[in-house]
Amino acid sequence: MSAFSVLTKKEFSQTVREFKIVWLPLVFILLGATQPIMMHYLPSILKSVGGMDGITIDPSVTQVSGAEVMASTIDAQFNQLGTIILVVSLMGVIQSEKANGMLSFILTRPVSTLSFVWSKVLSQFVFLAFCLSLGFLTSYGYATFLFSTVPWNEFLLSMLFYFVWLLFIVSFVVMVSTIFNSQGIIALIGIVFLFFCAVTAGLHPILALLSPAGMSLQAISLLATGTMNPQVGWSFFFTLLWIGITVGVTYFWIAKKKFQK
Amino acid sequence: MEITDVTKTFKTKKAVNRYSMTIEKGECVGLIGPNGAGKTTLIQIIADILEADQGEVRLDGKPLSTMKREIGYLPQYPNFYHWMTAAETLLFMGELSGLTRQELKREIPDILSRVGLASEEDSKVGTFSGGMKQRLGIAQALLHKPSFVLMDEPVSALDPIGRREVLNLIQEIKEDTTVLFSTHILNDAEEICERFVVIKSGEKIEDTSKIGLLNRNGDVAIQMTIGTGNSSWWEHVKQLPYVQGVKVFGNKAQIYVNQIENDKNRLLGEALQYPIDIRNFEVGGIETIEEIFLDLVVDV
Repeated sequence: MSAFSVLTKKEFSQTVREFKIVWLPLVFILLGATQPIMMHYLPSILKSVGGMDGITIDPSVTQVSGAEVMASTIDAQFNQLGTIILVVSLMGVIQSEKANGMLSFILTRPVSTLSFVWSKVLSQFVFLAFCLSLGFLTSYGYATFLFSTVPWNEFLLSMLFYFVWLLFIVSFVVMVSTIFNSQGIIALIGIVFLFFCAVTAGLHPILALLSPAGMSLQAISLLATGTMNPQVGWSFFFTLLWIGITVGVTYFWIAKKKFQK
Repeated sequence: MEITDVTKTFKTKKAVNRYSMTIEKGECVGLIGPNGAGKTTLIQIIADILEADQGEVRLDGKPLSTMKREIGYLPQYPNFYHWMTAAETLLFMGELSGLTRQELKREIPDILSRVGLASEEDSKVGTFSGGMKQRLGIAQALLHKPSFVLMDEPVSALDPIGRREVLNLIQEIKEDTTVLFSTHILNDAEEICERFVVIKSGEKIEDTSKIGLLNRNGDVAIQMTIGTGNSSWWEHVKQLPYVQGVKVFGNKAQIYVNQIENDKNRLLGEALQYPIDIRNFEVGGIETIEEIFLDLVVDV
């Protein structure tokens, strides 16, 4: 069996043994459910809590479509709490192997650095994409049930767009986890940089094009407006470029043995 | 295997300095040196964990990084995934070494019983003691039948029973494998190896066989052992006109004299006058490896 498949298999069995396979999907299902439910009940909550005097919410304002609810699920849940959870679940991915010496141990075997790096990035990506797709499906179900039907193609396409951003998140955190030795620093850099990307991408169309978070904006705008932004191809290209750079840096760092203290 | 001019510097400290040596097939080499001499660094460079700043390591004339299949490596503190069982760990490491699942299914129970872990096959590595991890590390290093085994302090962390078992195991594997192992416990090296390399501050200071080492400065000395509490005697011996030098190891010493024939009797006469408890007085006795080692590495 090739080293890549042995390492990938090990990543998956680790996911099972450490019960990540239970709690991470649950977290994303909850995140996916929160936004539609909250938006659905918000008017009645405000009504019962707020007094009759002063400002009242006009119920017609809150008549949003299911697709818009999904867009705000991405914006307010997956891009915020979701990102933090992704970073926390990924931060030890290489750092812990460095700390317990398994990384150098594995590399004394006939294993190429490339298959090590790709096994990490791809296995984590596949697992997290699975968790996220459960979140997307939950959000889709609630949005359709509580609001209006979300078109299938919009739902699928936006999810695929978001996965490109997810692949960047994985490759970026893997890179930070390779370079730094403290979990706290890794989490901090990961969360701050990813939020920074998401915020700056929204400031200007050029930034949106260049930023790796561009694909998450494309996913949101596709759901919110129902039309595909013509620049999605460029966003896709630049995000892939960013992914290439981060994987390249990780590869270089491990191949040159810079992880050794 | 050839190591040529290997140099490694950590920040300002030179850990290994222009180190060269050649190891023939089937040899068993003990790398000895005090703590901090650069043994681990050197072994890690050979195992391709660290990159040398300079120099190269070749096995059968090919760069070592292309020959990893032929190498078995045991780190100083072997560590594994705590959530895997012993058998799973070996399966994982074995598959990484390119063995097939069928081969491994056959080999693993066998190798586990050789290192004395047969009953722990399905226990989680997280519950293992240091000694058990060491044994699992040895099993892992031998699993793919490498032609060259590198061991970094294989017995230093073990209790006397485990130490004996592991030493016997190394005796067994050196029959058909080239072995390089580092240690600061000289008796271990003395027991297993025919060849010793003494390393100090990253430099090779001695490369010799056991017999060569023992014969090096052999027969002019007088070995003397006395009871405790008589250390003033050594001071007295140093003052004697016919004594060239004294090397004291606790209550034991080597005394070098000008003319062994006459001076030994004079010294013995002197000792009988002096209120000491003579335990042993021997001429021409050879130094132990430990004495030679201290001689080599301790700056006086």
